[in-house]
Amino acid sequence: MTLVYMLTQDQANQLKGVEYTTDMTFNPIQDANGNWIISNEEVSTTTIDWLKELPTIEYIPKVVDFF
Amino acid sequence: MRILTRRDTGLLTQWTFGSSAIDTDALAFISAASITDLTQQSAIINLVTSLKSNNLWNKFDAIYPFVGGTANSHKYNLIDPRDLDAAFRLNFVGGWTHSSTGALPNGVNAYADTRLSPSSSLNINNTHLSYYSRSNIAITSNRIFFDTFISASNCMQFYFDSALNQVVFDAFNTSDARVSSAFTRTDGFYIGSTTSISNRKIYRNNTILNTNTTTNTLSNLPNIPLFLAAANTTGGAVVFSNLQCAFGSIGDGLNDTEAANFNTIVTTFQTTLGRQV
Repeated sequence: MTLVYMLTQDQANQLKGVEYTTDMTFNPIQDANGNWIISNEEVSTTTIDWLKELPTIEYIPKVVDFF
Repeated sequence: MRILTRRDTGLLTQWTFGSSAIDTDALAFISAASITDLTQQSAIINLVTSLKSNNLWNKFDAIYPFVGGTANSHKYNLIDPRDLDAAFRLNFVGGWTHSSTGALPNGVNAYADTRLSPSSSLNINNTHLSYYSRSNIAITSNRIFFDTFISASNCMQFYFDSALNQVVFDAFNTSDARVSSAFTRTDGFYIGSTTSISNRKIYRNNTILNTNTTTNTLSNLPNIPLFLAAANTTGGAVVFSNLQCAFGSIGDGLNDTEAANFNTIVTTFQTTLGRQV
């Protein structure tokens, strides 16, 4: 089971394109249930403290089939 | 032990590696990516000189060696190691783990934007993608090497398809320009190459997995960039992968001999770095 950190939409908008460490930027995405999430790798590496207090949920990927 | 040294000689700065002058392209990359480890420096120098001596160097728009163990060192394009999007430097987005063995996307939200759009850089019926995967995993959902997708007749894709249970190379449509093959492992050095209107192949570790000789009639080159480890659609990045990448390239088509030589060179490169699979 992969755990991810849940954001509000405002928080997601705030993080989009922001560098969380050198040469890597946040990528908030929506899961299959419409929740905005970021990954453990981003939260564990960043120095933005409030992110570490976010609730964690199980990652359920959005199904995309365009192939 | 041979040591990379700089000798200031008036107007010229000469670099040597032991008694040999160093290839300037290798040196430019080593400098840009701040590669200080002697084994890694040697691997890059041998990679560049081998590609040149085999007449392969000019076939690439981008080569990502993933040497140095950080996002900063991994982002540089060996062919043009300027710190610019125009040089097709990788832009890492989402959760990545960078180490001496390569770059591992998390399969949740990670991808890298190459800034390389096929419509402006690649040639129809003459193109290749390669990916050295260090991950052998079960394919329960699609897992991507490179991808950009506008429509079924306007796309470039190299990926494992979970529904088909095949590895797929599309350049640049999903029907007559597609070559696909069954696979047993997702690790190894994969090359997808198109060398003519009716010749496209997938290779893994110097074995031809499949060939498609259908005449290609309906391709368009996408005008949005190739993403590494996810699909780039007009709606943004989707379908995130988790295959550790230790080498990737984008460029002209490679014939059987060129693909074989390329495989040998990249295998030697990985062996030098102690991360071959």
